[in-house]
Amino acid sequence: MEKITIKINGKDIEALKDQSVLEVARENGIAIPALCSHPEIETQAGSCRVCLVEVSQNGRSRVVTSCNYPVRGGIEVRTDTDLVRRIRKGVVELLLSRTPDAPVIQKLARENGIEGSRFFVDEAEHYRNRCIACSLCTQVCEEVVGVSAISMLDRGRDKAPGTPYLKPSQACIGCGACAYACPTEAISMIDEGEVRKIWGREFKMLTCSVCGKPYIPEAQVEWIVKTTGKDRSFFDKCPDHR
Amino acid sequence: MDNRKLQSVKEFESYRTKIAESRKDEYPVIYVCGGTPCLAKGSRAVAHAFKKEIESQGLACKVELRHKVTGCQGFCSKGPVVSFGNDIVYLEVKPNHVPEIMEKTVKNAQVIDSLGYKDPQTKKRSASFEGIPFYSHQKGMILKGLREIDPLEIDDYIARGGYASLVRAFAMVPEEVIDLIAESGLRGRGGGGFPAGAKWKSCRAIDSEVRYVLCNGDEGDPGAFMDRSIMEGNPHAVIEGMIVGAWAVGAHHGYAYIRDEYPLAVKVMKKAVEDATAMGLLGRNILGTGFDFDIKITRGGGAFVCGESSALMRSIEGKVGEPRAKYIRSVEKGLYDLPTVLNNVETWTNVPLIVNNGAQWYRKTGTQGSPGTKVFSLAGKAVNTGLVEVPMGTTIRELVEKVGGGIRGGRKFKAVQTGGPSGGCIPESLADLPIDFDSLSKAGSMMGSGGIIVMDEATCMVDVAKYFISFLAEESCGKCSPCRDGLPRMKQILTDITEGRGKEGDIELLEELCEVLSYGALCGLGSSAPNPVLSTIKYFREEYEAHIRDKRCPAGVCRELVTFRIDADACTGCTLCAKQCPQACITGERKKAHVIDQSTCIKCGVCRDVCKFDAVRVE
Repeated sequence: MEKITIKINGKDIEALKDQSVLEVARENGIAIPALCSHPEIETQAGSCRVCLVEVSQNGRSRVVTSCNYPVRGGIEVRTDTDLVRRIRKGVVELLLSRTPDAPVIQKLARENGIEGSRFFVDEAEHYRNRCIACSLCTQVCEEVVGVSAISMLDRGRDKAPGTPYLKPSQACIGCGACAYACPTEAISMIDEGEVRKIWGREFKMLTCSVCGKPYIPEAQVEWIVKTTGKDRSFFDKCPDHR
Repeated sequence: MDNRKLQSVKEFESYRTKIAESRKDEYPVIYVCGGTPCLAKGSRAVAHAFKKEIESQGLACKVELRHKVTGCQGFCSKGPVVSFGNDIVYLEVKPNHVPEIMEKTVKNAQVIDSLGYKDPQTKKRSASFEGIPFYSHQKGMILKGLREIDPLEIDDYIARGGYASLVRAFAMVPEEVIDLIAESGLRGRGGGGFPAGAKWKSCRAIDSEVRYVLCNGDEGDPGAFMDRSIMEGNPHAVIEGMIVGAWAVGAHHGYAYIRDEYPLAVKVMKKAVEDATAMGLLGRNILGTGFDFDIKITRGGGAFVCGESSALMRSIEGKVGEPRAKYIRSVEKGLYDLPTVLNNVETWTNVPLIVNNGAQWYRKTGTQGSPGTKVFSLAGKAVNTGLVEVPMGTTIRELVEKVGGGIRGGRKFKAVQTGGPSGGCIPESLADLPIDFDSLSKAGSMMGSGGIIVMDEATCMVDVAKYFISFLAEESCGKCSPCRDGLPRMKQILTDITEGRGKEGDIELLEELCEVLSYGALCGLGSSAPNPVLSTIKYFREEYEAHIRDKRCPAGVCRELVTFRIDADACTGCTLCAKQCPQACITGERKKAHVIDQSTCIKCGVCRDVCKFDAVRVE
């Protein structure tokens, strides 16, 4: 990997070519708020638009999303210009009007000096969940888990993740990776005894032979055995007791 | 079909000579326009009448009705249009005109002036392209082919010089072709106006075994039908341009992405690709040069956003048509992450012209910064509307007043909207602005793909902004938050203003949201979405203020803000309005002035429409 030098907020910083601005900034202790980026995803969607920064090169400056802007030698990044702050504030205010009940968004709003959104809040329940339609859940399901049980449905303000035809998905293994990855905790996953409920389906959980706690859906075990060839007996014990 | 395959450039040239020789007809070809507006006005019956007449008189004459395959003749508002080559054009032709046309024009080459265009001022009639202002102020570089060529017949295209640019291009090294296009100053007709030569050059410079050339035929702007007409009327010109482009950048595969709402364009382009392949102009070893290039037709799925380059490419790949960050340009990583040149239909159609005639010839038309012509779909309140082509640099006023013939009904010219939902409104006071990429952007609008909507004084600019924002809110793909959540909120604020709920600060709030979208949105749809709002605020701020402060719509459009009143002096008491009023809220005695009961009036406007004495006023 080619080593290059870039400037962030006036400071010279070493980076590898094609790393994202966000990654380089975080490695160097420079905070940039971000919601939908995830290190396990190959191509960051850049859909939440919270991680905006200003990048200038050859005297030209533009506002870009830091999560997927590849660094090149000679670029200068500014994370906190007036323009960036204004646009970020506007984006967060819009997110707040979409999901006023999401604690993550509320916190972000406070950090950006937003008292409350000046825009209307959708009354329909569909809009009042915490989903910001960033598509991270579907990316994790496809790229990390590899089952593609959910995808983004519909378009515009109706866009939301879901299973095909909103029916219980046969492809889902109940692993809950989507729920863990969700930046706004919008995906409902309920574990009750030996049953996990997610995406309208119930999954039977396997119990640890040592502590007796249900810890993994059987469907997930089958998926792992099938795709990795791992011995089924490996899953007799939970990670704490292996 | 394989026996038609031409093996070399020489074989191609002699084939052209042969078919051109065989096409010298005794009688002129009768072109009956079969574009959608002409069809709606009965051009099929006109063509049928011609056929019958030719048969009964036993003439060996050719009628080309382009109803299956359209070749729009442009003058949509005066259809059905019938033309004869480059000289004579008849408007509003009815089947009963046909015998006279056959006798005089076809057999005896006489012009029937009474079937020509009647100048509203001078009352003079003219049936020649030169004598009709709608045509004479145009320059038909691109549209010429549409009026003359049978789009379903590749021989017709070849006979008229089609595919000649391939011969010239193949005689050059690819870099020379790129330099030629760069020199010509050709800029992308899809809206952005990016220099085509520079795009091709950077694509060729990328080290890669596979490159693609794409044609963007996903014309989605409301009221735009330029690319559609070109694909339907002269598909081989598009294909020819793409082959030259492929040769120049070193691509062997191309895709033409056509929106599925254009089934005729899909059909015509498909046939054209098949025919060109059968002739050896596409496929392996084109004209024996060793160069391979094929074109596949991809049908769009109906999303406006797929006209955006990165979404279009995802759609061709079979994925959801969503845009993605373009920090790495598509000439580097485009379709399937490989170097890709994407140009729009009209851009490709310009390419053969440049290759055939040279960069200097091309630069003679248009302006320094934007050479060539531009095809527009002229719509709205102009007297003459249709598909038009003018040199770049033509002023808005020339387009509206000369080609368009001014405003209908003697009303005042107020503004033009250019560039579709991504464009903006330019007021009459700036109508002397030349139409080119840079002037329009500077004025806060954009060229866009070429929709021009003419607006008169009875157009409410807030309502116009609301219309475009509503369109975009519907068409937003929903991937990024500023566009997905910002547009519905802009729409709400605009709706509030037009319905009398506007408040102080709304204009500033709109401006704030516009900034968030222009800088924060992921793709061009979102970042250019503010244009309709910003340009109307910039040029018609007082109209916004009248809505907000005085709860008044100066143009008399916004229903919640207007009142219908009967002018007692003008009213004759004919009772017609009272009879037609669906609310029965108009009262009055016969032969005495009538009155509208405002408490039950729903402002439907029926009274104004039926009044013969112009006594119903909108305030």
